[in-house]
Amino acid sequence: MTEQNKIRSHFEKYVVTYLFIALSVLFIVVSGLDMNYVASQLLLRLNRNAFIVLALIIPIIAGMGINFAITIGAMAAQIGLLLTINWGISGVPGILLAAAITLPLGAFFGFLIGKLLNKMKGQETIGSLILGYFANGAYQLLFLFIFGSIIPLNSNVTIVGASGVQNTLNLTGSVGLYTAIDSIAHVPFLLALYIFCGVFAAAAIFQFVRKKITVKRMIASLVLAAALAGIFSIPAIASVVNGSHGRELKLPLVTWLLILALCLFNSTIMRTRLGQKFRAVGQSQTVANASGINVDRTRVIAIMISTVLAGWGQIVFMQSEGIGTFQTYAAHEQVGLYAGAAILVGGASIDRATNLQALVGTFLFHSLFITAQSAASAMFGNSAVGEYFRAFLSYGVIAVALIMYAWRSAKQKKAGQMNLAEQRAVKS
Amino acid sequence: MSGKAKEKPTVQSRIVPVVLFILAAALIAASIGGYALQNAGDIQKTLDTMRTNTVLHTASEGLVNSIAQQARADKLAELRKDKNFRKRGLDEVNAICDGAMEEARAAAEALYANPVVKDQAALESAIEAFEAALAEASILSAQEKGVFSDLYVQLVDNISNWTEIAGEGKQDSEILASLAAVASGVNDKANSHLQSSFVRLARDMAAKQQAKEDGELQNQLITLMVGAVADWTEYSGLDQAALWDKLLADVPALADNVRFKDAMLTAAQGYVAAAEKGEAINPPAEADKGADTVSETQADYSYFVPTEALTKEENEKNDAYEALKAQLIAIIPDLGGLSAKLQTTLRESLEKVLWLGDTDFSTRYNAYTAHQSGTESEGAWKLNLASMAKPLLLAGVAVLLLGLVLFFWKPLTTRFGVPRTIIALFFVYLCLLAELYNISVKLMLGNVLERMTMYGVLVLAMMPGIQCGIGLNMGMTIGCISGLLGIVLALQFNMVGFAALLFSCVCGAVISLPLGWGYSKLLNRMKGNEMTISTYVGFSFVSLMCIGWMMLPFDNPKIIWLLSGKGLRVTHSLLGSFAHLLDKLLAFSVFGVKVPTGGLLFLALCCLLIWLFSRSRLGIAMTAAGSNPRFAEASGINVNKMRTVGTVLSTVIAAVGIVIYSQAFGYAQLYTAPRQLGFIAASAILIGGATVSKAKVSHVLIGVFLFEGVLVFGQQIANSVVAGGGLSEVMRIMISNGIILYALTQTGGGRRD
Repeated sequence: MTEQNKIRSHFEKYVVTYLFIALSVLFIVVSGLDMNYVASQLLLRLNRNAFIVLALIIPIIAGMGINFAITIGAMAAQIGLLLTINWGISGVPGILLAAAITLPLGAFFGFLIGKLLNKMKGQETIGSLILGYFANGAYQLLFLFIFGSIIPLNSNVTIVGASGVQNTLNLTGSVGLYTAIDSIAHVPFLLALYIFCGVFAAAAIFQFVRKKITVKRMIASLVLAAALAGIFSIPAIASVVNGSHGRELKLPLVTWLLILALCLFNSTIMRTRLGQKFRAVGQSQTVANASGINVDRTRVIAIMISTVLAGWGQIVFMQSEGIGTFQTYAAHEQVGLYAGAAILVGGASIDRATNLQALVGTFLFHSLFITAQSAASAMFGNSAVGEYFRAFLSYGVIAVALIMYAWRSAKQKKAGQMNLAEQRAVKS
Repeated sequence: MSGKAKEKPTVQSRIVPVVLFILAAALIAASIGGYALQNAGDIQKTLDTMRTNTVLHTASEGLVNSIAQQARADKLAELRKDKNFRKRGLDEVNAICDGAMEEARAAAEALYANPVVKDQAALESAIEAFEAALAEASILSAQEKGVFSDLYVQLVDNISNWTEIAGEGKQDSEILASLAAVASGVNDKANSHLQSSFVRLARDMAAKQQAKEDGELQNQLITLMVGAVADWTEYSGLDQAALWDKLLADVPALADNVRFKDAMLTAAQGYVAAAEKGEAINPPAEADKGADTVSETQADYSYFVPTEALTKEENEKNDAYEALKAQLIAIIPDLGGLSAKLQTTLRESLEKVLWLGDTDFSTRYNAYTAHQSGTESEGAWKLNLASMAKPLLLAGVAVLLLGLVLFFWKPLTTRFGVPRTIIALFFVYLCLLAELYNISVKLMLGNVLERMTMYGVLVLAMMPGIQCGIGLNMGMTIGCISGLLGIVLALQFNMVGFAALLFSCVCGAVISLPLGWGYSKLLNRMKGNEMTISTYVGFSFVSLMCIGWMMLPFDNPKIIWLLSGKGLRVTHSLLGSFAHLLDKLLAFSVFGVKVPTGGLLFLALCCLLIWLFSRSRLGIAMTAAGSNPRFAEASGINVNKMRTVGTVLSTVIAAVGIVIYSQAFGYAQLYTAPRQLGFIAASAILIGGATVSKAKVSHVLIGVFLFEGVLVFGQQIANSVVAGGGLSEVMRIMISNGIILYALTQTGGGRRD
């Protein structure tokens, strides 16, 4: 492959990402929003959403597409949260309890989702989307008619004079779940960044010493760390985040440790036997099957992990700063859409995704999300357009990513048509 | 296949149906016994005696209550004269008054509990005459009817205002549907339903709005809602304070609303005034809802002029009541001395008991038993059996059907498929349940037909897509939006009548042609992934057009936002244009079922055209390309071209479909409203028996009938079974998405690689 071809293929892969970068810059400039405000909002939304977006990675690698059924994981988490509120357990124990309830529930739901998706191979993306809609019906049945009548609940969470759970549940005040994780410890953003750069550089040197990476790679890593630290040392940029005017950005330490732990989990599991199975199944089910891997079982495991992680992600989301209320019947509805759009913006596709893509995608997607409304009112004098533009972005990104993927694989298919024709002949 | 099944009918597979048959036979036999008993002379006589007792009991109870209340009021007045009145706490005053009341009640009960009937025959004939008059006159009096119809118009107005403000296109079709059901309920002796469903609607609307961030919109919405509830309670004389309490509990945001506070204050002042008069000193929430506490609010009926027939009915009813009252006074003379207001109350209670006259045995029996003193008569089991005849019969039929379906499971499911069998059985069960809950099946069938004309053409749009091989065309929303564009253009040019309808259809079809063509080109490159892609392309197009509706240069003040002066509104009433034009064409009623002839004819015409098309050379080539592309390619058919034909056809039909949908609905809805239409159409055709690769016209018709039938019946029954609503929506979500999931599982399984 020539250098030019390489660049072209890279650009083809990341066209959505570059488009989003350009749009973000444009929107930030046009919207005229205060940079400090944008930065603080972005950080907030990263805290909230990164965990859920990261939960999408494993099914993508296992070849199951974008698991829109993570909404079901979110529902499991909401059942956990509801019970926690019902029993009046607050703070970190409450969050832990909710997470503990989510684990078996999410695993069970994930098992069922996996079983069903195994019956619709090749249609997992649309299947999981519709499964999410279906589950929403079951969720309403549970929350409106079973909770409060068949399963008794305290009167503080049920609708007065009827069965069913209230439309909104408060998480603040005596319920004590609001920012239960976020508020454990805060670190100034700049300090966290410097520490991160330091650790990153140290890790690179360490790996070089252990002869795991080449000298070129180490230098590249060191330069990257130094550049990152350097950029934020420029006074103009530092003032955006250090609060010299506006608000000082602070990182909720534990939330970020959880996000990093999930990143580590995602990359570590890929080095285990199970991870190899995911990869093998994702690349080719036929080959995986031939090499003795139980394809269906592997896929079910991938979905189970994803569902549980999404549930925990929803807990992180619900407790995060600025939410405060639990919209019983709406909180889960857009989870799959936003997370799916975010990871695709980061350059992931239907069959490949990394931690970095998930994080970058979340960053870019939400930077547009924050600025769309103000930018639209600045451009068209109408803020409602911005609202619709957000929805268009979410759906449009997914549509474009799906089309690009289908287009690419059609091209690949054409290249290997002989091979494919043979396989088809064998099948029929 | 079926022969094979017959060869070895294992004992296990037959034992369940046989047990069910036996059970069904037992139930039906019991029910026949019950019906026979209902007509037996002595049972009828017992029932008549029960009725007489009930009337006497109601009268004496009313008297006792009024005496007790009077005693309480007297005691309060007496205490007030006392200088120390202010020093006593409210609790103490209440306790003293209640004591006096109970004492008076006990005394009165001893006096009137067992009235002595002198002329049994005269009393019974008077009761019968009044019952007959009541049955003839509809339950709502002439005045009330006028108020209710007026109120209904108001409600519809309010609701369409709300939805317009809320900008939630999706919900108001549901709301209007349930309002239509509510309206039929008003004529159907069920005004309490009107109240509960209205409160539910208001609550849901407010709660939905609460989730939105825009505080101003929410405030407007709640203000409108509070206004409507205030009006409603004023007309109906319901306990307003209790209603407010409930609303406040359900929608906490109300507490901050100025108009809500005002209404609360007014209600509270009303109660204070009533308490001052010594009528009810209890706090509003616990106010005694018995016959004696009368709400002070009076509705203004002045604008309503009753018709002659209604006045005549009213007069006959009054005469019959006077005769009955004379009989009752002859037995309990003190009844004559009641105040005018208590007289009215007594009459209302008696009417409530007796209007059951024309209903069935069990309803009457149950109503009368509530008033009997609980003495066990020797024929009690007979009465019980007779009153259970209808539920027993329905249960018997249900069990019999289940047995039959299980018995013929194999042949049925091979012929019709598992989902269609189950849903058809479910539909029949819903009909049985409707009968059990005394819901008018005819009215419901009329609704189903109406909704068939509404959705039929849209569902038909799925067919060419499936036939040409792109599967379920979720992107038919592209066609729907073209059709909506046609409608909005017709409105922009102030067109009316058939011209507007025709223009919308043609314009929509023309716009959808290039869109459908481009869309088909896209799908041709995405073979194997069409459903996923078409879903998201459809979603994206809907969102894109949301911006489009805002930005397009429409300027007719009737269709744009008045406040900002630009952007199309969400909901457009077609009442002045072409609403219900087709449905009302040649419409007639048969056996009480309203038939929207024009709409059905149009649907039939569309079906015929599509059927003819699928018989044509092009149609056959298209179906061949869809069902076996490789074979079609080999026999010289251009598969891509055929797919384009099918996709464009599907898109164009969808454009016409949405115009027909809007005329049947009476409103055109823009913005996010069309987003889910693809899913609705897909589930309907799948329920009809289509698969993602095969579809026929019969699938469309059966599917749309079963799907809409289950929804219409389900909604009514769910509302009667579970107060608070929402169950029917849950059912819709689960059936609609469940059937699509099922269809997907039938295609997949190792398709990848």
